[in-house]
Amino acid sequence: MVRILFIVFLCLLVPGLASMGYSLWQGPAAWSVDTDVFWGLPISLFVFWIGLAHAGTLISAIFLVLDVKMERRTSILAELATLCALVVAAIFPLMHLGVIENFYMVAPYMDSRGSMANVCSPLVWDFCCILAYGFLSVVYLIVHMLSEKSAVAASIHRPLAWLLFPMVLWVHTVVSLDFAATFVPAWRGAFFPIYFIVGAVFSGLAMVNIMLCGEGYRMRQLEKLMLVGSWFLGAFLLWDWALKGDLNVVVLIFAVLLPQFWFVSAVRESTLGRVLVASSVLVGMLLERVFLVFPTGGSGIGWVDLGLICFGFGLFGVIFLVARLKLSRLIEGEEVLMGEVEESAPKRPATVKFAYFPPLTTPEFRALRFPLLLGILSCVLFLVWVVGCLEENGIAFSDVNLIPLTCPIVTAVAGFVLCLRPLVFHIGKVGGIVMVALAVLLGVLAGMVYGGVMSVPSGSVVSSTGDMFDVNALPDSTSSLDSVAVIRTKAVFEARCAGCHGADGRLNEKFVREYYPVPQDLDLARMDALGEDSLVNVVLNGRTNMNPYAGRISPQMARGLVRYMRLLAESARADGVRAKAGEGGGE
Amino acid sequence: MTPLMSSLACVMALAQAFFLWRGKIRLLKEGLLLFGFFVISCVFTLLVGSPNDPQLEHYPLQMLALCLCFSTTSLPRYRRRYLVMAQALWFWVVLFGGISLAYRGIEFPWARALAILALCCSSTLLSRISKEMEFCLMVFWIAIWILF
Amino acid sequence: MDRREFIKWCSLLAVGSMLGGCRKLPFVGDAAKKDLPSFKMFEAEVRRAMSMPSHRMELVRVSMPGRLNRPGASDENRFGMAIDLDACDGCGKCILACIQENNIPLVTEDEAAKGRFMHWIEMRGGVPFMCAHCGNAPCERACPTGAANHTPDGLSAMMYKHCTGSRYCGANCPEHARKFNFNDAVQQGLSLKFNDKVPVRSKGVMEKCSLCLHRLQDDRLAVKTAGGVWRGRGVNTACAEACPKKAIVFGNWLDPDSLLVKVARRRDLYAPVGLAGLDPSIVYMMGGK
Repeated sequence: MVRILFIVFLCLLVPGLASMGYSLWQGPAAWSVDTDVFWGLPISLFVFWIGLAHAGTLISAIFLVLDVKMERRTSILAELATLCALVVAAIFPLMHLGVIENFYMVAPYMDSRGSMANVCSPLVWDFCCILAYGFLSVVYLIVHMLSEKSAVAASIHRPLAWLLFPMVLWVHTVVSLDFAATFVPAWRGAFFPIYFIVGAVFSGLAMVNIMLCGEGYRMRQLEKLMLVGSWFLGAFLLWDWALKGDLNVVVLIFAVLLPQFWFVSAVRESTLGRVLVASSVLVGMLLERVFLVFPTGGSGIGWVDLGLICFGFGLFGVIFLVARLKLSRLIEGEEVLMGEVEESAPKRPATVKFAYFPPLTTPEFRALRFPLLLGILSCVLFLVWVVGCLEENGIAFSDVNLIPLTCPIVTAVAGFVLCLRPLVFHIGKVGGIVMVALAVLLGVLAGMVYGGVMSVPSGSVVSSTGDMFDVNALPDSTSSLDSVAVIRTKAVFEARCAGCHGADGRLNEKFVREYYPVPQDLDLARMDALGEDSLVNVVLNGRTNMNPYAGRISPQMARGLVRYMRLLAESARADGVRAKAGEGGGE
Repeated sequence: MTPLMSSLACVMALAQAFFLWRGKIRLLKEGLLLFGFFVISCVFTLLVGSPNDPQLEHYPLQMLALCLCFSTTSLPRYRRRYLVMAQALWFWVVLFGGISLAYRGIEFPWARALAILALCCSSTLLSRISKEMEFCLMVFWIAIWILF
Repeated sequence: MDRREFIKWCSLLAVGSMLGGCRKLPFVGDAAKKDLPSFKMFEAEVRRAMSMPSHRMELVRVSMPGRLNRPGASDENRFGMAIDLDACDGCGKCILACIQENNIPLVTEDEAAKGRFMHWIEMRGGVPFMCAHCGNAPCERACPTGAANHTPDGLSAMMYKHCTGSRYCGANCPEHARKFNFNDAVQQGLSLKFNDKVPVRSKGVMEKCSLCLHRLQDDRLAVKTAGGVWRGRGVNTACAEACPKKAIVFGNWLDPDSLLVKVARRRDLYAPVGLAGLDPSIVYMMGGK
C-alpha cells in the first residue's frame, strides 16, 4: 500500500520537477499569465498549500488548548502533514519571483545601503508570518514527540499550543490581505480574512481526513467539522456573489454540494466514499484558489501549470511518506503500524476534568508570561525602529499597516524564549555544538542580508587605510601616478570611493545599474569648475547622493583624495586624446 | 447604515444568541445554527444596505461575532476563556476588515477596534462571572456596537 | 516486487517522464547568438501594438494636480504631463520616441501575440496612455522591497536592482501601466541600446514610464552645481519632444511659469476613472479653451 502510494507520488513529482525546472529557468513567462493576470498559478498553489498547512496546528494545538481530546497518532500525523505542506507552500512564492536571488530583500531588515523593505506591503507580512509559523511548527512537533518521554518538554507543550493558536490564524489572515489590500476589483472584500481562514481550515480538515483513511481509521468529529466548514464556505461564496455578482458554480459544486453526500450512510461508512468526499473538497478548494488569482479567466492553463500542480502534490506526498516512515517509532509509540488495522474502534474522548482557575493563574499563563513580555518588548522596539527608518526615508505609511507584523514577532520571540529552558536541560555536548553552529549560521545569514549578497562592488581591492596614510605627503598636481603619496592615496580611494566612482574615477558600471541617480562623472572640467575646497567639503559632508565621510577620514585625507581624483581625471583626458588621435590615424 | 438598522442588527444578534448552546452541545447542530445565523445576517445586511458600500462587506461577520459574544454568557463552563475568544474574533473581524479597507482609502475604525480590544483584555481578569457581570458585559458590547 | 526492481522501475519512470516533459521545451536559449535588431523591427512592433484591439479608457474630470500629499514632498516641484486629446491624432510617434529614449526592448512572437509589449506608452483606443505617476500610488504601497518609490519631485520611480519581480505592483495598478520583463531581452537579441544614459533592464524586473528621469536628473545636477533653485524649466520628455501636434505638454505643476500650468489652466482636465482618485500627475486635456 505504502509502496504503491510512493510510486504514485513519484509519478506526480518527476514530471512536476520537469515543469518546475522549466519555470525556474524560463521565469514567470513559463506559466499562464497575461496582461490582466500578473500572478498566475504559483500564487494559487501557495494559498492552497498554506491552507492545508493549517490543519495540523488546528487539530493539534487548538484542540489541545480547547480540551478537545485527540488521539496522539492523529495529532502528530496532522502536525507532520503541516510541516510538509508548509515546505511545499514556501516553494511557490519563491519560484513566483522574477528575480529569485533577491528574495531576501523582502525581509524587514535594513541593509548596509540604508534601504529597507516596505513594511507596509502585505508580502513583507507574509514573509515574516511564514518564517515565524514554520519555526514554531517545527518546535511544536519536536516538543510534541518528546513530550511522552520528557517532563520538561511536556510542560511547555500546552503553552506552546497557546502561542500557535493565534499565529496559525494570523498567517492565513495575512495571506488573505495579499488579496484584500489591493485595488483589484475581484479581490475587494473586507470579509476575506475570515473567509480565508474558513477555507484553509476546511481544506486542511479534508486533507487530514484523507490521511486518516490511509492510516485505516477515522475520526467522526473531524468529518463533521469538515461538513460545517463546507456550509460556511458556501455561505461565503454566496456573500461574495451578492457583493460582486460573480458566482463560481464549479467551486460551489465541488466544495459545498458534493461533500453533502457524506450524509448518505453508504458513502460515509465506506473508506472509498470518505476519500472521495474529502478529495472533492480538495479539488473544489484548489479551483477556488485558481479562480481567485485568475479573475478574468486568464489565457488558459498550460502544461507547465498542470506540471506545477503535480509537483505540489508529488512533493508533498514524497516528503510526507518518507518522514512518516522514518519517524514511525516516534509517532506510533507502542501503537499499531500504518494500515495494518482496518477498523479501529474510535476511542471515546476521555471526559476532561473541569478545573477552575482564578484569572491569570493558569499554569500556561505562568509559563508564558515572561516569554510573552519579552516578545512584546522586542516587538515594540522593532516597531519604533521601523517607524524611525520610514520617517527618515520619507516613506508614506499608516500605523494600521504595522499591526500585521506584530504577531509573528511576538510569537517567534516568545516561542524561542519558552524553549530555552528545556533546551538548556536537554542539551548535550553535541547539541551544544549544533546550537552554536546554528547561531553562527544565522549570524552569517543576517550579515549577508545586511551586506546585500548581490551588491558587493566587484574588482576593487579593499585594504585597511588606517596608518598607511602619511598625512604629510599629499599628492599634488605635479606628482606622477606612481609616486609614494599617490600610491597611498590610491589605496584609500579604492577602499572608500571606488565602489561607486570606479577605480579609475569613472563610474562603476555595477553601481550605475543599481541605483539610477548616478554618481558624478569626475572629469577635469567639472573638478576645476568646483575647486578643491568645495570638493573636500562634499567628501566630508556629503551631497545629494554622496555619503558624508567626516569622521571616517580626516580632512587632510579628503584633500588628498580630491587631488588624486584630479590626477585620475587628467590621465583619463590624456587617454581620451590619445584614443582620438589613434582613431584619426587609422582612417 | 442608519443607527436604527444597526440597533436592529444588535437585537438580531441577541435573539440569535438565545438559540446557541442549548441542551446537549452537538457539533452539527451548533454548526448548522451558526451557518443559518450567518446567512440571515448576510440577507439582513443586503436588505438594509447596498452591496456597493465597502463598510458593509464584513458586517455579517461582525453580527456573527457579536452573537457569539452574547451566547458565551450562557455557556456552562470555561466561560471566561470563550468570552475572551469570542471578543477576540470580533476584534479580528474589525481589525483586518479595517486594514483591508484602509488600503482603499476608508478610515480605520480606531475607536471601535480599541474599545473591543480593551474589553477583551480586561475580561481576562474576570473571576467567576455573576449574573450582574453578564449583564454589564452585554451592555458594554451593545454600547460598542451602537456608539462606536 | 523486491527493492531492486522497485528502484529500477522508479528510475525508468523518472527518465521517461523527464524526456516526455523536455520534448516540448522551446529552447529559447538558441536565440542567444542572434544579431542585434534593426530599427525597422521597432517601428514594425509599434505598428503591430497599435493595431491590436483596445478599448477607449473611461475618462472623468479631475482638478489640477497640486503639491504632493506625502511626507518629504517638495514645495517647488511636481513634474507631470498633460495630453491634449483635441490635438492628439494617435499617430504613435511618442511610442517610438519613448522606445529610443529608454532602450525599451522588443518582445518575442509569443508575447506579442498575447499583447504583452514592453512599450511604456501604449495606445488605448487611440489615446496615448502611460504611468500617471499617481501621488497616492497603490503600486508603491504594495511593493515589498521598496523598489517602487516616490521621489520628492513627484515621480514614481523604480530601483531596478531592488526589484524581486513579485509583480504585486503590477497587480495593484488599476490601469495596468506596469510592464514586466518576462524575457532576457539582451540575451535574446531583442534589445538595442539607443541611449547610454538609461540602463537596460534585466529579466524579471518591473518597469514603466520614468517620466524621463535621467533628463530631469541631468538638469538638476547642472542647476545645483551652478547653484540655484531647480524648477526643471529646461527639461522636456522624449514623447513630448516627438509629438508632431505638440499634444503632450511636460512641465512642473507647482511652477506657475511652466508651460504645462499655463496650458492646463485654460482647459478641462481628465484622468482614467481608475486613477482619478489617486492624484495622478499625468492628465488629459479636452475642450474649454
